[in-house]
Amino acid sequence: MPFSTSRSPSTPANHAAARPAAWAGFLSLALVVLLVPVPTGAASGERTIRIAASSYAYDPGVVSVNPGDRVTIELVAQDVVHGLYLDGYGIQLRADPGQTARLTFTASRPGTFRFRCSETCGPLHPFMIGRLSVGPNLTLLRWAGLGLLASVFGLWILRR
Amino acid sequence: MRPEHLARLLVILGVLLPLVGAAIILLPPLGRNGEVIEVHARVAEDGGWLPSELVVPAGTPLTLRLTSDDVVHGFAIGRSETQAVDVLPGQYSELTLTFDRPGRYTYYCTRWCGPGHWRMRGTIEAQGGGATPSSAAEPPYVRLGLDLDAPHPAPVVPERRPSAIGGEALGIDLPAGLRGRAYYETHSPYQAFQSLREQGSFSRLGDERVWDLVALLWRQATTARALEAGRALYAQNCAACHGEGGGADGVMATSLPGSLGGADDAPGPADLASLESMMGARPALLHGKILRGGMGTGMPYFGPIFTDGQLWSLVDYLWTFTMEYEE
Amino acid sequence: MTRFDLLRSPFLARLLRSRWPRLILSVAALAGFVLAIAAGLAGTPVGSRNFGIIAVWIAWWAALILVAVPLAGRGWCSICPLPLPGEWLQRGGILAPAARRRGLGLRWPRRLRNLWIQNAGFALLAISSTVILTRPAVTGALLLGLIGAATVVSLVFERRAFCKYLCPIGGFVGLYSQVAPVELRVRDAALCAAHREKTCYVGGPGGEGCPWQVFPAGLTRNSPCGLCFECLRTCPYDNIAVNLRPFGADLPRPAGRRLDEAFKGFLMLGSALAYSAVLLGPWGEIKLAAFRVGTPEWAAFAGGFLAATFLALPGAFALHVAAGRLLAGPRGNFRETLASYSQALVPLGLAAWVAFSLSFVFSNLSYLWPVLSDPFGAGWDLFGTAVGAWTPYLGAAVPTLQAGILIGGLAWAAGLASRIGHRLLGDDQRTSRRALLQASPVVGFAFVVTVVQLWLLIG
Repeated sequence: MPFSTSRSPSTPANHAAARPAAWAGFLSLALVVLLVPVPTGAASGERTIRIAASSYAYDPGVVSVNPGDRVTIELVAQDVVHGLYLDGYGIQLRADPGQTARLTFTASRPGTFRFRCSETCGPLHPFMIGRLSVGPNLTLLRWAGLGLLASVFGLWILRR
Repeated sequence: MRPEHLARLLVILGVLLPLVGAAIILLPPLGRNGEVIEVHARVAEDGGWLPSELVVPAGTPLTLRLTSDDVVHGFAIGRSETQAVDVLPGQYSELTLTFDRPGRYTYYCTRWCGPGHWRMRGTIEAQGGGATPSSAAEPPYVRLGLDLDAPHPAPVVPERRPSAIGGEALGIDLPAGLRGRAYYETHSPYQAFQSLREQGSFSRLGDERVWDLVALLWRQATTARALEAGRALYAQNCAACHGEGGGADGVMATSLPGSLGGADDAPGPADLASLESMMGARPALLHGKILRGGMGTGMPYFGPIFTDGQLWSLVDYLWTFTMEYEE
Repeated sequence: MTRFDLLRSPFLARLLRSRWPRLILSVAALAGFVLAIAAGLAGTPVGSRNFGIIAVWIAWWAALILVAVPLAGRGWCSICPLPLPGEWLQRGGILAPAARRRGLGLRWPRRLRNLWIQNAGFALLAISSTVILTRPAVTGALLLGLIGAATVVSLVFERRAFCKYLCPIGGFVGLYSQVAPVELRVRDAALCAAHREKTCYVGGPGGEGCPWQVFPAGLTRNSPCGLCFECLRTCPYDNIAVNLRPFGADLPRPAGRRLDEAFKGFLMLGSALAYSAVLLGPWGEIKLAAFRVGTPEWAAFAGGFLAATFLALPGAFALHVAAGRLLAGPRGNFRETLASYSQALVPLGLAAWVAFSLSFVFSNLSYLWPVLSDPFGAGWDLFGTAVGAWTPYLGAAVPTLQAGILIGGLAWAAGLASRIGHRLLGDDQRTSRRALLQASPVVGFAFVVTVVQLWLLIG
């Protein structure tokens, strides 16, 4: 039972005194969750990934590589001219149907990045999006963990 | 001015200005404005080139304002040396052309824009006095009486791709009658193989070696420049259906079956990496096939698009799928 | 209650009482609106090069959801161009009302005085949004239809009936305006009670009666008030205050038993998730189904969307509320408990919309500069910015921003749920435990929704 009946009544004064401490606690825990380094043991190597682009999706739409991999993207356009712009790395390819485009880069930045079409290929062009995961999506896990903290914090501390 | 009147003036101005802009856009519509014509590009299923027929006086400069209404297109005049111009969605490209000789000119799309890409063609009729255009020469396949649609398998097929380098390494003098364009254009590699086999001096060589000599003959009939031109033409025009390695596995062939404009049971693109098929094909036949297209199949007719030089460069390049020309 | 009355400043008081600021801003908005319609209907069909698409769904939407609503509540409503033609016709003039007024001035039917029409309108837009956001002609037609409808309604019904009961934008702007740090309230309610003429509501020499059919003394939250400041001009006692206040001070509040607002909250929350999945996800099949309006695939998509937002999400939420009541011991009417806890979805939904919008706003903002120089995509170059390649902005920072906002919204929602629980069950130490128990499943629901949205946007 988290609440003991012998606890002194939670008067506004008591509660007000607890708040800065609670905030400090929450913020420090938040920083730990967001920043604590987590080792990712996967070895890095050479990867070649063939991504087919058609209006309006990439196939595969979700790609995973290990951090440090030397990645070659082969962009194959299947109907019209398509492009691929990778967020976070800023690299760009463009392919006409019949002419596979190739680009090699090192996946040095861990995280999950969106890649988008960079050549107008029809009305839904701005929403032609895929995902590249470099390593496990630690960011998502961290923020989800922070969400758990925030839920508890909100429920308990922000009740007034 | 009374505040109410000032307010009304503000409103009228605010509403009129955008409407004036719209009026400027809406008139004149697509079409003629002096010697400047606006041409919209759409994928063939949505109309292709709008307009698709233009008439100009010969000798007068014509300015075209080109824009795309959907995807990336390109514009070029067939059988000419004018550079292709990209036609981008929502943006305008301008091109000024002068047609000195009267006649019919074809313009076509140069960036793949779907399975209907090759149908995106229009015509410009240059009217007026001046030299009448010379009638086109008879294509070689007509002169030779070749049936473009009949299959042409080679009776003897090499086991591996013939290598011109291997042929060169043999250091043999090849018969004069087999060397050069005239022989190359009108005979198939199998016929060259047979001619070499019939010559006693090559009887001690194995079949594969003789095929290497055929590859050498073929490579010597062309130039590095022609091969490079052919490579570029192939990549831009043919690879989408025939595949980047010639194996009939292009993106248009595999992902969009039955949509290349042919009958449902029409065969897919020809396999240009098939030894059996290619060794039995005369270059003149390939030239004719590209020129005339495939009746009832999705193979476009490139007669109005490529110059004769371009056609032969392309044909010369096609052999690199079945023959080794370099390391 | 920490409130700072902006009208203490004589300069601000004069500014807000004057009709010119609203006139200038709303006519500018009207000009942009007309340009968007013209460009949409007459300009290039390529969305990224058309003012109708970019100025509306990138620029105006960003300004609305990222700035106007969180900071100024219904501030957009005060300069929105939709009611203008109707209002001018009703009043017979722009600044000075004329004696000859137009319109039938009918009262809005009692049965329709709720959010259900706006819910339906927004849902209709949502299932068609893929084609609205990408085809200029559709956006143009929609905008034209909206201003046409607003004008016609103004000629039949009194005041700003369209804004209050029909506008699909106004529905959610009103809901989320409760978050804003600005409010309009009366200074002294007793003064209002004693004032018999109620010029703020019926109109007077200074101006019109409240176009939003609000009695200012009865304002306890931001949602009904359109910030048109007409009451500042009509009140003979200068009894209206425009206060700066803490964020979200409107919530929680006694909810009553009406569920229309709760369903607005479900619809908005569900839409944010659905939009994130359909538009920003890697699943091309769903995108195409959502785009091909009228086909069986689209019908399946629309059915799925409506079931999710009107059945599944509210159903799941109701289950969580029921679980809370089970944990804490049932007290009070279930509908009232449900309506009360649904207020927690206000910061949650707004955070989801802000996070979703951040994705496509910054990645596509670079389309704005060419479109200002060439609104119709006709090859113009009015300001020299027509040539410009697409460049996504802030690509590396956006995911962190999105996650931070989502977590912030979650913390806020959790706190709000907790406060709602305490309000429902009592605020002393004895009942606090039950309140926390009752609120926990709702907080759990908010957590799950946040994680799903996190996964859709940065996963």
